[in-house]
Amino acid sequence: MREVISHYGSHLALIIPEVILVIAICVSLFLGLFIKKNKSTLLWFVTGTALLTAFGFIILTWPQKPQEIFAGTLRVDDFSAFFRLLFLTGGFLTLFISLQKESATEYVILIQAIVLGSCLLAMSMHFATVLVSLELVSLSGYVLAGFAFNKQSSEGSMKYFLMGTVATACLVYGVSLIYGISGTLYFSTTQFVDALIASSSALILIAAVLILAALLFKISAVPFHLWAPDVYQSSPTPVVAFLSVVPKLAGIALFIKIVLAFNLFGQAAIDWRMVIAAFSITSIVVGNLSALAQTNPKRMLAYSSIAQAGFLMAGVATLDLAGIRATLLYAAVFLLMNLLTFTALYFFEKWKPLPAMSDFAGLGRVAFIPSLALVIGLIALTGLPPTAGFTAKLLVFSSLWNAWADSGLTLILILFIVGLINTVIALYFYLKIPYYLFLKETPAGTASIKISITGNLLLLILVVVIIWLFLNPGLLMGWINRITFVL
Amino acid sequence: MPYLSLLIFVPVLAALIALVIPTRYTRAFPWLTLAATVLQLFIFIAMATHFNPADGLQLSEKKSWISVSLSNWGHLQADYFVAVDGLSFPLVGLSVVIMLIATISSWSVSKSRKGYFILLLILNAAIIGSFCALDFLLFYVFFEFMLLPMFFLIGIWGGPKREYASIKFFLYTLLGSIFILIVMVGLYLSVQPPESSNQVHTFNVLHMQNQENFIPGSVLDATGSGTWRLWAFAILFIGFAIKLPAVPFHTWLPDAHVEAPTAISVILAALLLKIGGYGILRFVYPVFPDGAVYFSDWVAGIGVVSIIYGALNALASKDLKRLIAYSSVSHMGFVLLGIASATTEGIAGAVYQMVSHGIISAMLFLIAGVLYDRTNDRLIENYSGLALPMKHYTAFVLIAFFASLGLPGFSGFIGEVLIFFGAFQSHTLNNLVPFWMPLVATLGLLLGAGYYLWTIQRMFFGPFAIKTMHTELNDLTPREYSMLLPLAILAFLFGILPQLLLNYINPFAENFIGLWFSLGLNANP
Repeated sequence: MREVISHYGSHLALIIPEVILVIAICVSLFLGLFIKKNKSTLLWFVTGTALLTAFGFIILTWPQKPQEIFAGTLRVDDFSAFFRLLFLTGGFLTLFISLQKESATEYVILIQAIVLGSCLLAMSMHFATVLVSLELVSLSGYVLAGFAFNKQSSEGSMKYFLMGTVATACLVYGVSLIYGISGTLYFSTTQFVDALIASSSALILIAAVLILAALLFKISAVPFHLWAPDVYQSSPTPVVAFLSVVPKLAGIALFIKIVLAFNLFGQAAIDWRMVIAAFSITSIVVGNLSALAQTNPKRMLAYSSIAQAGFLMAGVATLDLAGIRATLLYAAVFLLMNLLTFTALYFFEKWKPLPAMSDFAGLGRVAFIPSLALVIGLIALTGLPPTAGFTAKLLVFSSLWNAWADSGLTLILILFIVGLINTVIALYFYLKIPYYLFLKETPAGTASIKISITGNLLLLILVVVIIWLFLNPGLLMGWINRITFVL
Repeated sequence: MPYLSLLIFVPVLAALIALVIPTRYTRAFPWLTLAATVLQLFIFIAMATHFNPADGLQLSEKKSWISVSLSNWGHLQADYFVAVDGLSFPLVGLSVVIMLIATISSWSVSKSRKGYFILLLILNAAIIGSFCALDFLLFYVFFEFMLLPMFFLIGIWGGPKREYASIKFFLYTLLGSIFILIVMVGLYLSVQPPESSNQVHTFNVLHMQNQENFIPGSVLDATGSGTWRLWAFAILFIGFAIKLPAVPFHTWLPDAHVEAPTAISVILAALLLKIGGYGILRFVYPVFPDGAVYFSDWVAGIGVVSIIYGALNALASKDLKRLIAYSSVSHMGFVLLGIASATTEGIAGAVYQMVSHGIISAMLFLIAGVLYDRTNDRLIENYSGLALPMKHYTAFVLIAFFASLGLPGFSGFIGEVLIFFGAFQSHTLNNLVPFWMPLVATLGLLLGAGYYLWTIQRMFFGPFAIKTMHTELNDLTPREYSMLLPLAILAFLFGILPQLLLNYINPFAENFIGLWFSLGLNANP
C-alpha cells in the first residue's frame, strides 16, 4: 500500500500545476460560501496566485523529461508543458480583464476548471482521460457561455450545449469502434498502431472521422463551426476571449496528438495530410468569406476565429516536425493576438455597448491606446508585419511549401496559395474596425473614454510582446525547437 | 559610419520623439519632421562622398536578425542587410529630396498634426529601407510597413472619397505583396549560401541571384525543368507590377492619387511607384533571368499598353490630378519597356526614367496642389487664362509639363531616349523586344504632348475666367517656391548634364547586363 502511495505520489509531483488548480478550485468554492458578493478581492487573489504559481512551476521544470504517469494515461513532456503554459496565460489574462464581475465565485471556478481540463487534455494518452477532460472543458464552457444571464446568452449557451453533446457522442462512438478494432484505449502505444495497421478495416476511417469531428467542433473548424457565431455574439466578451483561445488550443493540442496517432507512422490507409488540408482550406475560405458580410464586431471575430482554426490546422497538415512546430508558434501568437483584440474590444464595450462596427466611428480620437491595441491585434490576425502574426504565418506557410516540395501533393500547394490569398480577403474585414475608429469623424458630444491605467498597461504590454516576437522570434522558436514528437 | 542605418533610423527616432510631445504643441511636429529630413539630406551628402560608382554594392551593413532552426529542413536565416549600388543610390537620394519637399508641402495640414507627421516619418523610414534592403525578408517588411501609414494618411487627411480610395489602395497593394510573399517563401526555401553545409535557408538576395546557390532538386532550382520558375517569375512580376502600376493592375492609382493630400500624392508618385520598378530590377530580373527572357515580349507589351492606355486616359481626364495620375501610368510604362529590352541603354534608361519621373511627377502634383489650395476645384474645364493672374505659377507649370512630355533639355528626355535606344536595339541585339513595340510606344510621346499642350491651352491661355472663387488667386508663396524651384532645377540639371546621374547608373546597368551574358541567356532564338 505504502509503495503504491509513494508511486503515485511521485506521479503527483509531476503534475503539481494541476494539483494547485484543483486545490484552488476547492478553496474558491469554500470562500464563495462565506464572502459577500461584492467583496471578492480575496477570491481573485487566490485564483490569480494559483494560476501564476502553476505557470512558474512549469517554467521551472522546463525542459521536462518525457514521462508517462498514472498507468500511462497521462504524459508529461515539453509538448504538453508548452500548451499548459498557454492555457495558464490565457486563464490568468482572462481573470485579469474581468476583475469586477458579478457572481465571482462561479466565474473563477469555471475558468479554472476549463484551464485544468485543457491542461489534462494536452497530457492525455488514453481515450478515457481524453473524454473526461474534454467534458470538463465542455461542460464548464457551456455554463460560461451563458454568463451574461440574458435571453441571447442563454440561447447561445443552449446551442453550444446541444451541438457539443452531439460532438461528444461522436467522440464516444468513434472511440468505441476503435476499442473494438484495436483492443486498447491507449492511442499512442505500439499495440494500437499494430492493431490498426493489421486490421486495415474501413471502420478505422469511420471511427477516426467521428473522433476528428469532435475535435473540429472544439476548434470551431468548418463544417462544425455553426455554434461559434451565436456563442461569440451573445456571451460576455471576456468569456469569448477565453473560449476563443483556451478550449480551441486544447482542441489543437489533442488534434495534433490524435492525428499523429492515426497517421500510424505514415502507414495509414488514407493520406491524412489530404484530409487535414481539405478541412483547413474549407475553414479558411468559409470563415473569411462569411466574415466579410458581418456588421457585429464579435460575430465578425467569430468567423475570423473559424478561419484562424484553418490556419492552426494548416501546419498540422504537413504532418512533419517543422509544420507542427510552426503550429505551436502560431498557437502561442494566436493566443496573444486574440486576447489582445478581445481585451481591447471589451474595454470599449465596458464604456458603451457597441453592437455594430459603425458604432466605433471616430472613437480612435477619444480612446487612443485601446484603439491602437485593437489595430495591432487585427493587423496581427491578418498576418502583416510588424507583428508576430506575420512571423507565425511565414513559418506555417514555409512548412507548407516544403511539404509540397517534398510530397508533390497538389492539395498542399492549393492550401498554401488559398491561405495566402485569403490574407487579402481577411484584411478587408479586419480593417473595418480601424476604418471606423480612425477614418470616420467622431460624433458630436462623444465623451472621452476612461480606461483604467492597469487596463491600458495590459494592452500596451500585449502590443509590445506581439511586436517584440516579430523582431526576435528566435527565443520562442528556440524553446519550441526543443519539443520532440513521435511522428 | 553606418550611413544607411542613420538614414533609415533618423526618421524612426524623430517619430518616437514626436510620440512623447504633447498634442497641443501643434507647431513642433512639422519642425521636428523638417529637422529630421534636413538631417537625412546632410547624411546623404556625406554618404555620397564615400560612394564610388564603380564599386557595385557598398556601404553595406549586415547583422543577423532572425536565425531559427526549422527542424528537419534546415535553418532560417534573415539578416539586417543594407547596401546601395548604382541602382539604389540615386533612388535613395531621390527619396531624401522628395521627403524633404513633402514635409514642406505638409505645412498646410491642420487636422491632427501629431498623427500625420508621425505617420509621415514612419513612411519615410520604410521607403528608404525598401531601397536599401538586400535581404528579401527585410525588404518585404519595409514594403509592408508602408501600407498602414499610407492607408491612414490617405484615409484621414484625403479628399471627399478618401475612405474608398484608401481601402482600395490597401487591398490592391496587399494583393501585390502577397504575390511577392508567395515567391519569397519558395525562393528562400530553394536557396542556400555557398559556404554553408547544413541547409541554411537564406533570404539574401545576392545569393538568390546566383543560380548556383539553388539547392539541387528544389522547386525553383535553376537547372530543373523550369516551369515552376516561369510561374514564379510571372507571380513576382505581377506583385511588383501592381505597385508600378502597369495596366491592367493600375486601377488603384487614379483613386488614391486624386483623394490623397498633396504631399502624399507627391510621395506616392515620386517614390512608391519607383519601388515597383526597383523591385523588378533588383529581384524579378536578376533572380529569374530565364523567366525574363521567356516573358520579355509580355513585359514589353504590358509596358507599351501602359504607355498608350495611360496617355489616352490622361487625354480624357477632366480632373487635373487624375490627368497627372494617368500620365504617371504612361511614364512608368516606359520603365517596363526599357527593362524588357535587357540592353545596357534600356536598363540605364529605365533607372534614369524612374529618377526623372520622381522629380517631375512630384512637381506636377505640387502644381495641382497649389491650385487646389486656392480654389478647392481641380476640374480643368472650370479654368481659363490662369497665366494672367498667376505668372510665376504658370512658368512652373510650363516647365513641369514640358519636362514631363519629354522636351530636350529636361531629364524626361534623356530617360526616354535611352529607353528607345535600348528598345530599338533589342531587336537586333537579343531579339527580346519586337521592333514594332517601341514604334508604337513613340505614339505615347505624341499623345503626351497632346494632353499637356491641350491642358495648357485650356487652363492657362485665353481670357481669364474661373468658375468658383474661394479666395483671392495669389501667385506662388515663398513656401511653394521653395518646393518647386529645387525640383525644376534638378529636372533641368539632369536634362543637360546626364552624366551626373549616368555616372552612377551606367556601372549598374553594365553589371546587370554582364550578369546576363555570363549566364549565356542573351542568345535567345
